[in-house]
Amino acid sequence: MTKLKDKKPSKLEALKAMSPKDRNRAIGDMLMNNAMFIIIAIAVVGIWIAEPTFLSIPSIVNIINLTAAKLPIALGVGGCIILAGTDISAGRVVGLSACIAAGLQLTTNKLFPGLAVMPVPVAILAVLVTGACVGFVNGFFMAKFKLHPFIVTLSTQLIVYGIILIYMQLGTNSGQTLSGMSEAYRNFVTGKLFTVGNTAVPRYVLYSAIIAVVVWVIWNKTTFGKNMYAVGSNEDAANVSGVNVVKTIIMVFMLAGMLYGLTGFMDAARIASVNANTGLNYESDAIAACVIGGISFVGGIGKVSGAIIGVLLLQLIFVGLNYLSVDQNLLYIVKGMIILVACSIDMRKYLVRK
Amino acid sequence: MEENQTPKQDSAEQPQRPFRGLYRHVKVSVKTLDRIIIGGIAATVLLVLFGIANNGYTVTFDSRGGTDVPAQELMYGDLVAEPEPPTREGYVFSGWYSDENCRYPWDMETYQVSQSMTLYAAWEEVP
Repeated sequence: MTKLKDKKPSKLEALKAMSPKDRNRAIGDMLMNNAMFIIIAIAVVGIWIAEPTFLSIPSIVNIINLTAAKLPIALGVGGCIILAGTDISAGRVVGLSACIAAGLQLTTNKLFPGLAVMPVPVAILAVLVTGACVGFVNGFFMAKFKLHPFIVTLSTQLIVYGIILIYMQLGTNSGQTLSGMSEAYRNFVTGKLFTVGNTAVPRYVLYSAIIAVVVWVIWNKTTFGKNMYAVGSNEDAANVSGVNVVKTIIMVFMLAGMLYGLTGFMDAARIASVNANTGLNYESDAIAACVIGGISFVGGIGKVSGAIIGVLLLQLIFVGLNYLSVDQNLLYIVKGMIILVACSIDMRKYLVRK
Repeated sequence: MEENQTPKQDSAEQPQRPFRGLYRHVKVSVKTLDRIIIGGIAATVLLVLFGIANNGYTVTFDSRGGTDVPAQELMYGDLVAEPEPPTREGYVFSGWYSDENCRYPWDMETYQVSQSMTLYAAWEEVP
């Protein structure tokens, strides 16, 4: 095997050795498979020329911050996509977690009158448990009843939204936006990590990086991670070779749920005001980021680095279009188109692979 | 140009292994996919160009019972120009807020526009 690898010529040499027709085809494949990256690169350069402040230090720090804020949810959805599924309840779970984290951290608590501000670890524990519960329901119905991932997560999306609305009616709050969270909590998440130039980098960038490392270790270095890839690429084969498929699927969704919970925990402090619509449509960004980053709907294929690149590229594009004052409503259409095109490219990659 | 290919090359275009996952029922040729991808990218680019050509954010003013205040067309990073304060019988105008509950005042001198939005008028009852 190693011998074969040694003899394998580099990509460039292989390209030279081909006949002109094959070479054209190979170059065409390469261009098409990376079309999304090429287009995004051109767009970024174009926006930079039109608005030079787009790539100034404060703007770049802002893009990195946004990437960090959206990374955990993308990693969670990424795990579900590796199972050849998906999760459209993600955004609502982020919303519920944000409401719960905020509810435990209000200085004048209208949800639970008389409740003192809880320590920050309690809030973290609460969002992890919430996310894991929803994830368990998702995974259970998918693994046991072989229901389509879209149907299961659509149901949980509705259920979670209902819970959010009821939760926001608790006490004397009557559905109002939650704001005025404790200083300790806000500082824990958005406090200054270090400064670049004159721009402060918040602490949640560090937390997001830690989460990415932990997820990388789980995906690549644990039996659970290897089982996840095995189940994703071929469920029957994984079953035959002794992998507990049901347990693996449930655990992947529980892990994803916890990651959504952490996203909500960071978002509540980051945005500093939480309402029933917090987290709306987050899953669409996360799915788009994963598909752009090469986490494939084929199943069993995808890397943590892919999710990071996907989130970063998506934020670059949308912050850039914001700089050009493009109407926000139009951006929804652009997002949808990007998902469709990215899926077509993803499909093409695995259609021609030998 | 490549329509009339020999059968041998045609077979090279067939998938070498069956699709799995969400794509397992997909039957599509590379050529069709290429057209879809290029078409999709072209449509997206056109859409973005359309957006850039019609750029600008609209800031509307909800005077909430007071006299109408005209909307403003602004670009990213612009400041909202202080409009003529609206009037309302029995009330005194007390400023523009970015939320309906009038909790977050909009500071016209420092806050920059980054999206289309509505500013809400706050009123105090004349005692």
